Amino acid sequence: MSDESRKSYKLEVWVTAICFIIVAITGGFFSSFVVILNERFFDKVPTPEQLVQHYGESMFVAKEGLTVLGFPLHYFLLIMLSWIGVTIVGAIWCIVMDRLEEKQRA
Amino acid sequence: MEPRGEIFVLGLVLSIIVLLISVFISIWARRFTRNLGDYYVAGRSIGALNNGLAMVSLALSLTTFIGLTALILKGVYIAIALYASFTAAFIGLMLLAAPYLRRHKSFTTMAFISERYGSKTLRFISVFIMLIVSVLYLGGNLKGVGIIFYYLLGVPEIVGIVVGGLVVTLYVTLGGMYGVTYNQTFQTIVLIFCLMFPVAVVLKALGAAGWFFPPLGYGNLVPLMNEAVPHFFWPMLVHPIVYIAIFLGSFFGIIGLPHFVMRYFTVRDAREARWSTVICVFLVGLVNTTVYATGFAAMYYMRTQGIDIPEAAYDYMVFILLDALSGQGWLAIAVAGSVAAALSTIAGLLLIMGAGLIHDLYSELKPEVDDEKKLKLSYAAMFVVGVLVILFSLNPPKFILEAIMWSFGIAAAGLGVPIVLGIWWKRTNKYGVGAGMVVGALIGLYGWIMVGYLGMDPVTIPFPIFAKYFYGPLGWIKITAVAVPVSFILTVVVSWLTPPPPLELQKQVDVMHGWQDYDQKRYNGKGLPITVIVLSVLIMWFMTTLYDVFPK
Repeated sequence: MSDESRKSYKLEVWVTAICFIIVAITGGFFSSFVVILNERFFDKVPTPEQLVQHYGESMFVAKEGLTVLGFPLHYFLLIMLSWIGVTIVGAIWCIVMDRLEEKQRA
Repeated sequence: MEPRGEIFVLGLVLSIIVLLISVFISIWARRFTRNLGDYYVAGRSIGALNNGLAMVSLALSLTTFIGLTALILKGVYIAIALYASFTAAFIGLMLLAAPYLRRHKSFTTMAFISERYGSKTLRFISVFIMLIVSVLYLGGNLKGVGIIFYYLLGVPEIVGIVVGGLVVTLYVTLGGMYGVTYNQTFQTIVLIFCLMFPVAVVLKALGAAGWFFPPLGYGNLVPLMNEAVPHFFWPMLVHPIVYIAIFLGSFFGIIGLPHFVMRYFTVRDAREARWSTVICVFLVGLVNTTVYATGFAAMYYMRTQGIDIPEAAYDYMVFILLDALSGQGWLAIAVAGSVAAALSTIAGLLLIMGAGLIHDLYSELKPEVDDEKKLKLSYAAMFVVGVLVILFSLNPPKFILEAIMWSFGIAAAGLGVPIVLGIWWKRTNKYGVGAGMVVGALIGLYGWIMVGYLGMDPVTIPFPIFAKYFYGPLGWIKITAVAVPVSFILTVVVSWLTPPPPLELQKQVDVMHGWQDYDQKRYNGKGLPITVIVLSVLIMWFMTTLYDVFPK
């Protein structure tokens, strides 16, 4: 494998891996992070009375903190990142791969 | 749930117009079909914009209109997490599979698996898995057509299932992939228009300041909603493995669902495959966020008006809301959009099932048959499959989105894993893939039979290796967090312990990535398989933790 070829190969693998991790976090795991870290960041833990009142004994909830455009922050980030965020990441990856493809052809 | 009470003539007329245009497009597109390649992959001539729009209508099935709203009402925050993951999964599909599959030049997912691993047996197994996931997916969508007919006309759901099923079977049989592609493009335009405008009208009626842009236009309703439903935007604190299972199911499920993948075999080249996904994900996100607004508006409406709608009627909620808050014209437009959404997804699924049976099964068993005869058989097979699916759909699932979620899980473990590893790790061989896809798909299928079909409580299913941990809301989703990791682990370990695949099969990997030359070191390192195994074991272990912390 020539140096140029190795460089292109590494670029393809690493750009793809980084983009996948970003998309997985923003689209896939983000909700989970919010849920786990919510109490730590916003320090608002529902009382047992609230739990029973809203969900019965079978579910727990965590209360939200900041708001953006009227939405709770976690919700706003989730929908924006899983939509506009991943679209931008996808477009950047496409541009990199288009250039790589031109190099491979050359 | 009682039907609307009177025949909704305007909705019926617009729905019939959509159906007739779809059949007309198929008849028109038939002139382009001259051989088997034209019938199944539209002569690989579709551009990025056309393919992107067609993919949108595949993604936005009737479950988006109906099932998601019901799930938001049922499950609140998890529903949003589910669809956020589903939206992002398209980019996952693009990064891991789309352009590479296009360069492979197969006709179907099953053909790719067979040719990449050099095994006819794997082709037959993957056809079997494809049929299971497609039927599950179709059952939910055909039930949705039945729901529309029942609510608006008062006729039994079965009438909608049979009529909708027959029309779509007719136009898929007639038009092949050309007809399906142009129809899906048309249906995407129809459904975006028919969703955005009626929802904007509903938001305006509820007093939302930004009603003209539904995805974010209901933000100023949130304070009012917090008063009416204080807990509504609080993320539900379920075991995090639920979100990980949703991620695994959506990201690898979308790669495994053959009707999505088949769209990439129709485009001109890898570049068109990539950009069509970007167009698709932007529009899918636009529609999904609009549907979230519909779900929230429904909840807000119910709570502020003091209306109590039984849970069994949540699938009807979109129409109930439009009926109450917008004019009859907007309701009719939304009905037409729903019909378009259902038709496009059903068409894609029927086409892949017909292709699987004739191209991947019959052609392998009878290789001497010429293409002309195969084309004629394809028409017949498509029709027979359509009729069989209608019969299966007569006993549909309770909530339509649940069937789709099961099919995503089974597709992820059974087909998604072999596709991804086949593209990114040369050492993957037919033995590993056979073990991984069979066991992974069986775990998902076992969960569906016990929980989805027999309706058993997940905690009490037989052979409770992990059953204890299927607690909490939508706990059964966690089975995907077992099926997908098991599929990955078995594929990697068995491939490692058995002889490597022949050189000509390994060369396919370099070709798929666009290389003119071959290098044994590319896509052949130990980093990927080790990372995959470590992550898979961690995910399975994680599910067995925190049992006492989260709700049962």
